[in-house]
Amino acid sequence: MRFTTPDGLRAWLDRLAQEIDLIAPTDVDGHALYRPVSSSDEVLLDYERPELSAKDYLLPATEVMLRVEQRGSSVTIEEVLPDRKQVLFGIRPCDAHGLAVIDALFLEQDPPDRYYRHHRERTVLVGMACTRMWEGCFCTSMGGGPMDPTHLDVLVRPGEEGFFLRPVTPKGVAILEGLEVTEPRGEPLPVEEYNEPVPVTEPAKWRPLFGDRIWMRHGERCLSCRICTYVCPTCRCFDVTDRVVEVQPGVTRIERIRAWDACTSTNYRRVAGGHNPRPTKPERLRNRFYCKFCYYPEDFGPLGCVGCGRCILSCPVDIDITEMMRDVAERSGG
Amino acid sequence: MRESANPMRPYLGRLVETRELATGIKLFQVELTEREGNAAFADYRPGQFAFLSAFGAGEAPFGITSTPGRGPLLEFAVNELGHVTHTLHDLEVGDPVGIRGPLGNWFPMEELKGRNILILGGGIGGAPLRPVIHTILDHRQDYGHLTILWAARSPDLLIFTEEFDEWRAAWATELYLTVDQGDEEWTDNVGLITQLLERIAPSPENGVAITCGPPIMIHFVFLTLQKLGFASDQMLTTLEARMHCGIGKCGRCNLGEKFVCVDGPVFWQYEIAGFLEGFL
Repeated sequence: MRFTTPDGLRAWLDRLAQEIDLIAPTDVDGHALYRPVSSSDEVLLDYERPELSAKDYLLPATEVMLRVEQRGSSVTIEEVLPDRKQVLFGIRPCDAHGLAVIDALFLEQDPPDRYYRHHRERTVLVGMACTRMWEGCFCTSMGGGPMDPTHLDVLVRPGEEGFFLRPVTPKGVAILEGLEVTEPRGEPLPVEEYNEPVPVTEPAKWRPLFGDRIWMRHGERCLSCRICTYVCPTCRCFDVTDRVVEVQPGVTRIERIRAWDACTSTNYRRVAGGHNPRPTKPERLRNRFYCKFCYYPEDFGPLGCVGCGRCILSCPVDIDITEMMRDVAERSGG
Repeated sequence: MRESANPMRPYLGRLVETRELATGIKLFQVELTEREGNAAFADYRPGQFAFLSAFGAGEAPFGITSTPGRGPLLEFAVNELGHVTHTLHDLEVGDPVGIRGPLGNWFPMEELKGRNILILGGGIGGAPLRPVIHTILDHRQDYGHLTILWAARSPDLLIFTEEFDEWRAAWATELYLTVDQGDEEWTDNVGLITQLLERIAPSPENGVAITCGPPIMIHFVFLTLQKLGFASDQMLTTLEARMHCGIGKCGRCNLGEKFVCVDGPVFWQYEIAGFLEGFL
């Protein structure tokens, strides 16, 4: 454990910002969001759970995968892989946990996702422990916790008079090299408040409930707005499209891009001929929850939810994943 | 695919020939122009699929309708339905295209040797079954009786009509045609493929039925086959799904806990019957 003063931490962040891309929680019109920052002045050190997860920096909302140039009948394809290193500072332990969930599919299943893997390799995760669980948080039910270092390279714990930094991986040790360390003063802040645990039902017990009426009850009010999947640190479905960026006589430049997609959207499974095997909102909502609690753990290992609670807070019609989990637990007998 | 290759990067190819297969459906013959592409497709199998790129419009998955061992050109039957397929239909001979694949599993042609094969193709759903037919015709002595039921909504939507003579002429091979609605010139069967199937009533003994068509057709073909005595390990199909990666990542083709792209697209009926979520 290393201790530094608030000034020491800011000096370290300023140095990082000069050398590599620094992403950190910052205030955007009153909302805490992870954003690229150029100086430590912009970095929030006391903040709630940011409103969006950190996945945008490893699986960007929109990402150019290929640049294609067509000259007459000749085509060249260039792969786009940015090589700058980046540090994600101040991410919450649930966000790192979310990346570990994506890793199970994007890194551990063959073939690995080339782009995600590349971003993962060029990224250092410096997490900030939470000093309480906020509204909607249920990370402790999902195998995480407000001070969980498991999926981080460095865990920072706020203290009474400064910050306690604990390197977790060799990457974490390396990134802390420039940090000015002093004698510890004061104690690390404890977790002030824990939320009630939510029951997690094992994947096999979800199966008999596939035809249950709870999906109709919850799904009827879904608006198919997709916000739950966009704020989710583990939702990773994507769409691939072409964008024509430049047309000149004899030359066309195209970008092949991928963008986040959502299984709660109307067209997710619709094929060109019009057939849609999942035409109703209850079926689509059911798919989202089955993906997280049944399919994903069965196929790839980890549960597909880390309990960050963002989908609960962002849903315009108050669909609450924990309510669903309680219903399933009750229906399946615990 | 080599570890160093980017599975999302298409191999380059060139359109060698296109021809009208049926109303709104064109056959594309594609030549791979990169060494890596030729290596990747050197041993593709009947039932596998690939993404075709029309650069600027995007890419979409298609069952490969050509047959391994029948020359180096790859063939795709493309129904003009969406943005990518509109653009593909507008391409001219010589135009560049991208091809990503081969992807997915395939029909177990080795396992099917010695069995009587029943093929049931509906509309463009016949396209991925064509390499199965060709493979059997090319190794005719390896397989038992071949019965083909070929259907479409109307006569102008029947595909590969110019090959019917070759199919009919083959040893121990029968071809039956049916359309939902005929026209003035149509003298063959009119009615659903399931009605035709019930009438022909092929014996399930030592048989394997392979079907592809609209999901509702697959569903009722399976039911009719069951009535005829076909067991769940005597029925195969290949499913269509919306896909954006083909390598089990993008999530789009999930059928419950399965991905059509990597767990399929070829499935036995007993596999489908065990899925939590239906394909209909």
